[in-house]
Amino acid sequence: MRKLFEFIRSVYVVVLFVVLEAIAVSYYARSTYYTQARLLSRSNQVVGGVHGLFAGIGHYFTLGRENRMLLTRVTQLEERLAQYEEAATAERLDGYMQDIGESKYRFATGSVVANTVNRAQNLITVNRGHRDGIVEEMAVLSPDGAMAGYIVACTERYSVAMSVLNTSFRASGKLADSEYYGSIYWDGLDQHTVILGELSKYADPQPGQEVVTTGFSQYFPADVLIGWVESASLNETRTAYTVRVRLAAEMSRLGEVVLVGNRDLFEIRDLQQSEQVEQHTRLK
Amino acid sequence: MHRTLPYLGLFAAAVLLQVFLFDNLSISIYLNPLVYIVFIALLPLDTLPVALLGAGLALGVTMDCAMGSAGVNTIATLLIAFLRPALIGMLYGRENAREGGVPSSARFGERLFVSYLVVLTLIHHAVFFSLEALSWTHALHTLLRVVVSSAVSVGFIWIIARIFTAKLPMRV
Repeated sequence: MRKLFEFIRSVYVVVLFVVLEAIAVSYYARSTYYTQARLLSRSNQVVGGVHGLFAGIGHYFTLGRENRMLLTRVTQLEERLAQYEEAATAERLDGYMQDIGESKYRFATGSVVANTVNRAQNLITVNRGHRDGIVEEMAVLSPDGAMAGYIVACTERYSVAMSVLNTSFRASGKLADSEYYGSIYWDGLDQHTVILGELSKYADPQPGQEVVTTGFSQYFPADVLIGWVESASLNETRTAYTVRVRLAAEMSRLGEVVLVGNRDLFEIRDLQQSEQVEQHTRLK
Repeated sequence: MHRTLPYLGLFAAAVLLQVFLFDNLSISIYLNPLVYIVFIALLPLDTLPVALLGAGLALGVTMDCAMGSAGVNTIATLLIAFLRPALIGMLYGRENAREGGVPSSARFGERLFVSYLVVLTLIHHAVFFSLEALSWTHALHTLLRVVVSSAVSVGFIWIIARIFTAKLPMRV
């Protein structure tokens, strides 16, 4: 019996190490990007304020660039507004507006308080939460309207978004002015490019061509700019293109973001999961 | 104990520096220095292995919560906390280590101290980045991240170690 105790005393550090390591490994193995986002959003309740302070100081230095960007955006919108005004003078606007009603998308803005680009699972923390009407699955766009991620977890005052630079990120994208679409994901190699995979071999992507979102994805509105084609290669079986897309959003300099929510998302989802739809799919 | 306080300070400084400074260095995808392990590296030479494991656990869990990385930090930090006594024994000799004191270039000699930091950092970063990538498809890419980040980490850890040991008397 005493020998047993002595034996245990001589190896208890190793045993303790193995036990702790096993617990940590199993927790990591069972974790998903959602667990990680939840963990981060919880710790943000403690350190969010300090992050916000530093981010505020950081923002001060990018104000000029942001101003220029906003200015170009304003001119673009002014241009479009001018078009509408023209229509109004032709007294047709009333006719247009009657059926439009409330917009399908809801916009909000927020500041990035923490953001990384150098991990495999990058997450963005935004200083808006449930209190400001932010909910899970809202799209996150850069100030000039390019895709940057989508919200995965919210607390009262903060929310955490999965960055497009996250190996778990999935969205659908297509070449502008064509109907060929594929899936957008990040291979974890370069913070400036993402991959547009499974694009039909008939699509013929050209360098410089715009890549935009499709309307199928429930997170993003249709025709949000993702980036520009950098290079394309056919896969081994020569059935589909794998396209490297240069990101339009500058992820490492993300200061302000635009959040877009789909008002109809829950209605569409309820409908998709409704009993009638289920009955019909069961009959097949 | 009278040296608890400086170490509590070091723990807080390491965590705060990592969360608010080094995690925000969005310069390159290859550069992700994990400087917080300076706390493990600088614990006294005569620290009990159990206490080392405890420190590693506390540090790893804290960093996991702060970085939202669900266990990677804990796994890597526990490993270096566990291996540290063996490493010091190998580099410096068990008998010398038993006398206690803070690991430093004055104590070890410059070359030995730097190689101690390099080995400790390389182990930690190798575990961290390969677990984060979780695939062998980009092995070269992961290796490059380990090497670049470790080089920068060792630099910062050396500087922090210099500051920390300058304030402390050699033998406490």
